[in-house]
Amino acid sequence: MNQVIGKSVNRKDGRAKVTGEATYGAEHQIQGLVHGYLVTATIAKGSIRTIDTQKAEATPGVIAVFTHKNPPKVFKPTNNWMTSKIYEARLPLSDNTIHYAGQIVGLVVADTFERARDAAQQIQIEYETQPVEVNAQQANYQKAKSMFGEDMEYVAGEFETGDFSAVDTATVEATYTTEVEIHAPMEPHALVAHWENNDSVTIYEPTQWVKGSQRTYAELVGLPPERVRIVSPYIGGGFGCKAFPWPHGILCVTAAKEIKRPLKVVVSRRQMTANTGHRSHTEQTIRLAANKEGKLSAIEHTAKSCTSPVDVFTEPCTGITPVMYTTPNMKLKQELAVLNVGTPTFMRAPGENPGMFALESAMDELAWELNIDPIELRLRNETKEHQRKKLPFSAKHFAECLTTGAEKFGWSDRQMQPRSQQQGDLLVGWGMASATFPALRSSVEAKVRLLDDGTAHVLTAGNDMGTGAYTVIAMTAAETLGLPVENIRVELGDSMLPNGGLAGGSQMTASLTPAVLAACQSVLETAQAQNAQEAFAKLRESGRAAYEATASSAPGEEGKKFAFNSWGAHFCEVTVDEEIARLRITRWVSVMNIGRVLNSKTAASQIRGGVIMGIGQALMEECHLDPTTGYPVVYDLATYHFPAHADIPRIEVSFVGEPDLDFNPMGVRGCGEIGITGVAAAVTNAVYHATGKRIRSLPITPDKLL
Amino acid sequence: MKNFTYVRANSIEDAVSRATSDRQAMFIAGGTNLVDRLKVFLDEPSQLVDVSRLEMKQIERTNTGSLKIGALVTNTALANHIEVRRNYPLLSRAVLAGASQQIRNMATVGGNLMQRTRCPYYYDTAFPCNKRQQNTGCPATTGMNRTHAILGASESCVATNPSDMSVALAAIDAVVEVEGVQGKREIPLIDFHRLPGNNPERDTNLEPGELITAVILPPLSFSQSGVYLKLRDRASYAFALVSVATALEVAGDKIKTARVALGGVAHKPWRAMEAEEFLIGKAANKSNFEQAAEIALQDAQPLAHNGFKVELSKRAIRRALAVSAQGGGLA
Repeated sequence: MNQVIGKSVNRKDGRAKVTGEATYGAEHQIQGLVHGYLVTATIAKGSIRTIDTQKAEATPGVIAVFTHKNPPKVFKPTNNWMTSKIYEARLPLSDNTIHYAGQIVGLVVADTFERARDAAQQIQIEYETQPVEVNAQQANYQKAKSMFGEDMEYVAGEFETGDFSAVDTATVEATYTTEVEIHAPMEPHALVAHWENNDSVTIYEPTQWVKGSQRTYAELVGLPPERVRIVSPYIGGGFGCKAFPWPHGILCVTAAKEIKRPLKVVVSRRQMTANTGHRSHTEQTIRLAANKEGKLSAIEHTAKSCTSPVDVFTEPCTGITPVMYTTPNMKLKQELAVLNVGTPTFMRAPGENPGMFALESAMDELAWELNIDPIELRLRNETKEHQRKKLPFSAKHFAECLTTGAEKFGWSDRQMQPRSQQQGDLLVGWGMASATFPALRSSVEAKVRLLDDGTAHVLTAGNDMGTGAYTVIAMTAAETLGLPVENIRVELGDSMLPNGGLAGGSQMTASLTPAVLAACQSVLETAQAQNAQEAFAKLRESGRAAYEATASSAPGEEGKKFAFNSWGAHFCEVTVDEEIARLRITRWVSVMNIGRVLNSKTAASQIRGGVIMGIGQALMEECHLDPTTGYPVVYDLATYHFPAHADIPRIEVSFVGEPDLDFNPMGVRGCGEIGITGVAAAVTNAVYHATGKRIRSLPITPDKLL
Repeated sequence: MKNFTYVRANSIEDAVSRATSDRQAMFIAGGTNLVDRLKVFLDEPSQLVDVSRLEMKQIERTNTGSLKIGALVTNTALANHIEVRRNYPLLSRAVLAGASQQIRNMATVGGNLMQRTRCPYYYDTAFPCNKRQQNTGCPATTGMNRTHAILGASESCVATNPSDMSVALAAIDAVVEVEGVQGKREIPLIDFHRLPGNNPERDTNLEPGELITAVILPPLSFSQSGVYLKLRDRASYAFALVSVATALEVAGDKIKTARVALGGVAHKPWRAMEAEEFLIGKAANKSNFEQAAEIALQDAQPLAHNGFKVELSKRAIRRALAVSAQGGGLA
């Protein structure tokens, strides 16, 4: 055993992807397919006084125009996190009210995409316009309501006065802000809805939650789930914005029923800047107090974020605070304001990411104030337990991440003064920050089939949004069955398959691979074989076509004994050409503790992807809104900046620790999100070391370095 | 989107004649900017006259020692041409600083001169825009204007010209050769693009129907001192916040000729003539470069969000001139 797990294995789906063989949602070719184009609001607050669709309807090729006056029939879903969920509680075209710029106000269906787009341009809308609120700095913040049952305020210890100066040597109080970041995966939001006989529908749509999507669309169209099929074999990046139906998806599926034709709707890049999710602007204030040895006596963390008028989403920044550093006094508070913007949502490490930017920046500031090495400061304050759950962490190797990273990076050579390292005319800075993300898993099933041709099939309605799920599932099966990875066929992303759970919260691998392990063991038991070869021999003898077994895996009592998190540390080097405000990241080392590493190649790739996305947040990502109309003033991937190759140095990734067998039988914790946490702080900490300038407001565009 | 006809011009005369008789016609070559604009309804031509197959793809030395670049030479071919690299290194670097390899492979020299602003208000018909439609207003003046102009703008338009190539051409004193029904004429590059004034819908001084046929680079004895410095929000594939093209001719310890052109700051590539004149006869030193930078930006009128461009431009000029004074190269 253990021949494959942990090795570097190429992606099972890699060839299909690079050759174009992989078919994404809107690429499915269906006879008679027609095209929908979204009409979106050009004001951010008010209502539609008149909407004239006559001209559009008379345009050649137009099949139908839907507006709030004739919305396609839709049923209100339960809309909770457990059974069904839509991103935006307001159903599309439900009335004439406008809540944000870019809100969908119509759908034009035509025989070609170009004709639908052209007709959409012909629709005349007169608005009643009201003043908009799109400025996060001037918004009216209120205490945020709980999203997942945990109170958004928390106090431990003594915070009566909030004054710790009498007993402590050092205090840090600082406010950190992050800008609106829009979801911009390579594959845009796009789907095809294909109805048969008015009572069943197939939806080809990228979704991070196949079964959830099935249940949700079933509720929306008033059918039992088995009459709704979701096909989502490939996802061109999800990052949190492809887990639930958005208004355009609901509109596509319901309109397709009315027009009795298969319908495709593709959201344009311009439209995606407004109506398919973003990470809210955040403003966080951190107060730290510590004695001269650096032992923390108090942490206060207040976070403000914004939501849309039509749903509630709080960027939960303070969730990381009780897991990072031990302190007797802790106060957490989340506030939320409503702006005339599209609904914000999960974006890679929602909450953890901006939260770690603030906390890890503040820890760096404290380290400078106390003249203690920032690694040492973190080691002195590590907590062995989750301070809110009061449970010990399982298989925690945070300290090893710090020390291993420091060694690989050469941290001991660091000059302990800002502006002390130079390379020619460039200032050189070294920075580090911690990383963390909770380890989650959910209840899932997998089916394994051994066939007489000597292959094994693994089937489950999970999915692979570019993370490497196909490959780690195949590796798990290969290891358990004693077969080469090439002989395993994995089928994902189809709601006809057993429940594969949600690819979100970094839980797909941790949820699915234990189920795959159990299903493989079960199929061998069924065959009464030690390994697949024996089973194949029995198949040949008996003339049977296949052995099959389904198994499930779910979290159990372990959550009452332990808290589960993954851990990491980032180290980076920046150079700053101060005169011309040119910042470059020149070196990066990340060390992660994620339990068992199944595929060293795709796991490292996940971490790298997180680091790159974090560098984008640190240096360039920001979606500005026009102050009058509330409309984003970025409109495509050339104007909404995220990193190009030239922005990214070599990223060295390594892993420490042992399998976390208290967490699940595979010992694996997810790694999709942890890579991005702490990245921005590592960069701003390095910029401080290089220049003596503390950047507390992301992104670090050149104007902030002047 | 209005339907349009598509025709392949079979000669320059044919192209010019079609575009002169039909004022709604547009030329298309690489299409890297125009096709994008068509898709979002910024342009609604009656016909597209495809000039991409015409014979304007040569780079040749003229008998006056100039280098004549055919209008259909791709950006990639221009940047990589041995004579351009040897004799106009700042042009090669400016072109390579723009767009992406794939876009440069398609984009032509003539098209690069004709590309329009990426002002987000211009780019979405949801906003009014004087450049798209006269007298509808300019939301950029009161909106988000971090990337907008600080020099030569007007109340009606604060957009910037996005081209890197044009900034280098301005510094080189290049000349644009155009052909219309009246025949050929030459327009100095620095007069080719316009300031917005009350007519921001016009980016250039081309007459209706005129086609760019070539760009002429005069000999430049001190071209080795050329520098193109582009400062932007990411390391590649981003338009300039500020860019600077410089070259210096130094005789003895005195500057004999100076060239300073700016990009990302105005509706056209911006030659800082007064700064150049100031430098003539002065020593090539830091304090003179600082003063030249001050002079270049003395008329700057920043908007609410782009004040940083004034300081960034000054610093970019100082740096570029300092590198030019040391013989040119990467800044």
